[in-house]
Amino acid sequence: MDRTPGVHANKHCEEGYGMGNLKVTMTDTAGKVHEITDVAEGQSLMEIGRAHGVAGIFGDCGGGCACATCHVYIGEGWGEKVGQPDDIEFAMLDMVSDVARENSRLGCQVRMSPELDGISVTVAPTAA
Amino acid sequence: MAAPAIDKDAPKICPVKPGDPNYLDEASLVYEDILANPEPYYEAMREHDPVHYDKKLQMWLITRYEDLQTVNADPNLYAVGAGYREQYSKGFFEEFKAILEKDGGGFFPDAIMSEPPYHTRIRRLIEGTFTAHKVKELEGRIRKVVVDLIDSFAGNGSCDAVRDFAIPVTIHVICEQLGISLYDAKKISRWSEAVTAQIGRMQNREQMIENARHICELQKYLINEMKDREANPKNDLISGIVHASVTHEDGTVEKLTFEEAVSIVRAVLIAGNDTTATALGNLAYLLATRPDLAEALYENVDDDRFVTRFVEEHLRRMPPIRGLSRLTMEDTVLNGKHLPKGSHLLNVYGSGNHDPQQFPDPLEFKMDRPNLGRHVVFGGGVHRCIGLALARMEVKIVAQELIRRVKDLRLAIDPGDIRYMPTVATQTIANLPVTFSRREG
Ligand code: HEM
Ligand code: FES
Repeated sequence: MDRTPGVHANKHCEEGYGMGNLKVTMTDTAGKVHEITDVAEGQSLMEIGRAHGVAGIFGDCGGGCACATCHVYIGEGWGEKVGQPDDIEFAMLDMVSDVARENSRLGCQVRMSPELDGISVTVAPTAA
Repeated sequence: MAAPAIDKDAPKICPVKPGDPNYLDEASLVYEDILANPEPYYEAMREHDPVHYDKKLQMWLITRYEDLQTVNADPNLYAVGAGYREQYSKGFFEEFKAILEKDGGGFFPDAIMSEPPYHTRIRRLIEGTFTAHKVKELEGRIRKVVVDLIDSFAGNGSCDAVRDFAIPVTIHVICEQLGISLYDAKKISRWSEAVTAQIGRMQNREQMIENARHICELQKYLINEMKDREANPKNDLISGIVHASVTHEDGTVEKLTFEEAVSIVRAVLIAGNDTTATALGNLAYLLATRPDLAEALYENVDDDRFVTRFVEEHLRRMPPIRGLSRLTMEDTVLNGKHLPKGSHLLNVYGSGNHDPQQFPDPLEFKMDRPNLGRHVVFGGGVHRCIGLALARMEVKIVAQELIRRVKDLRLAIDPGDIRYMPTVATQTIANLPVTFSRREG
């Protein structure tokens, strides 16, 4: 069941940005669309959003799956590849059930891989 | 985390009552009766003067949920570190520092009480140790500690739920988390007090020297443990902090300095202490005064989602942290109020958690709230509690193991006689006599 990549103590640093060539499209809470084309493998959607000032991505707990300030909706067609949240992530999404949907994930728990190249996500609002 | 201390000699009772036209002017968080029941004061401020200057406390109180979000979104304008350093060991700083350098292995400024970008570097280095997934690995060990402790007193019939239960459970669990084998609750409480006393204006020189001696002992103890984990890493928080590193894209590896690491281990020991103990004391109060909720918890004790929501709503409704300080680094305007540079603010999380704009019927226990997790129990923004996953897990384990072993929990004190600790930082019950019986089978 658990297809969530582990959270590593030795994380890649956000300054290490722009070293890859994977693509991500993020629509932020202000409706702005960010086309990001230089993403490295292993970076999480939260790290990518935070480094690019994507509105609505805060990442307060630093990727700890414990604050839900990195909540995104996975774009149509990508759900299967991204996979489902594990129990810990589900419990966190349940705390913001006013805006949680079937395709909700915490951005810090989704790490980029060649499989996800081209993925599009929408940042969830911070209130219903 | 910091909040000012209250002058011991201040009058204890607010001279006016809620509803009085001068109430907002006269009320203050320095009064014991308001500290014990701050809700009418919070409500009056949220409604009439959300960024309110408390003249006796000499601080601006930030009371609305929205305004707290604004403050926490700008950590360089509303700073944690500057005010903290100004307060630290005030009046005796050089002497205090010299004692620690001579006898305590060094003087280690609090790395976490700082501003971005330095603060960001520290957080990135240590966050990996505190993730919900990492914390989960400690669950079995913590549950065992909690079960053993509860079993040891479940047959006693009565106790002080704060002194005999909340505080010792918290200290045992913190030691287990950190990976230290010294379960000397008295000693750790004393160390913790000595560190906390450095913030605020409560200690005289004699007390400062006494406190410094305790901090020396604490630091030497921790440094020893850290040296051991450097050589023999284990699955505990000290190992996590000692070995914390970030690998940059160019292959260079960054680590905490030794000074930073000591300050973090010390901060974790202290920050997790009063807060979690307060949450557990409050839990005993909740279960003793709401048999309906105690019953519901027992019936659903194996339902993970139920217990998780129960704990989250408990923390929001009885938040351990009342208020923490900020200092404005520039002139600014917050919700229409002009705040000059150098203004001392108190983020009144206790009030933000009960803001009806965010949580309708805020004082009701409603675990089906759709925005259950969007509270400020753990603050928000870059200083959001780093121990939040640990704290939640600990309260959850205690709730489960207590209700499995104990029934008929009741207060053995008139609720009106309950006293609170004299601090604005936390809303902490000082003593809570209770009776109960062991649940058989
Ligand atoms: C129920 C228990 C707890 C509550 C209610 C709580 C609450 C808070 C709050 C409100 C803050 C924000 C500080 C601010 O805005 O200035 C905070 C920060 C912090 N907490 Fe907790 N806490 C709890 C347990 C713990 C535990 C178990 C640890 C141990 C790991 C811990 C470590 C910290 C640290 C190190 C900070 C400073 C973070 C920073 O400034 O970046 N806390 N906590
Ligand atoms: S950053 Fe906190 S849950 Fe993702």
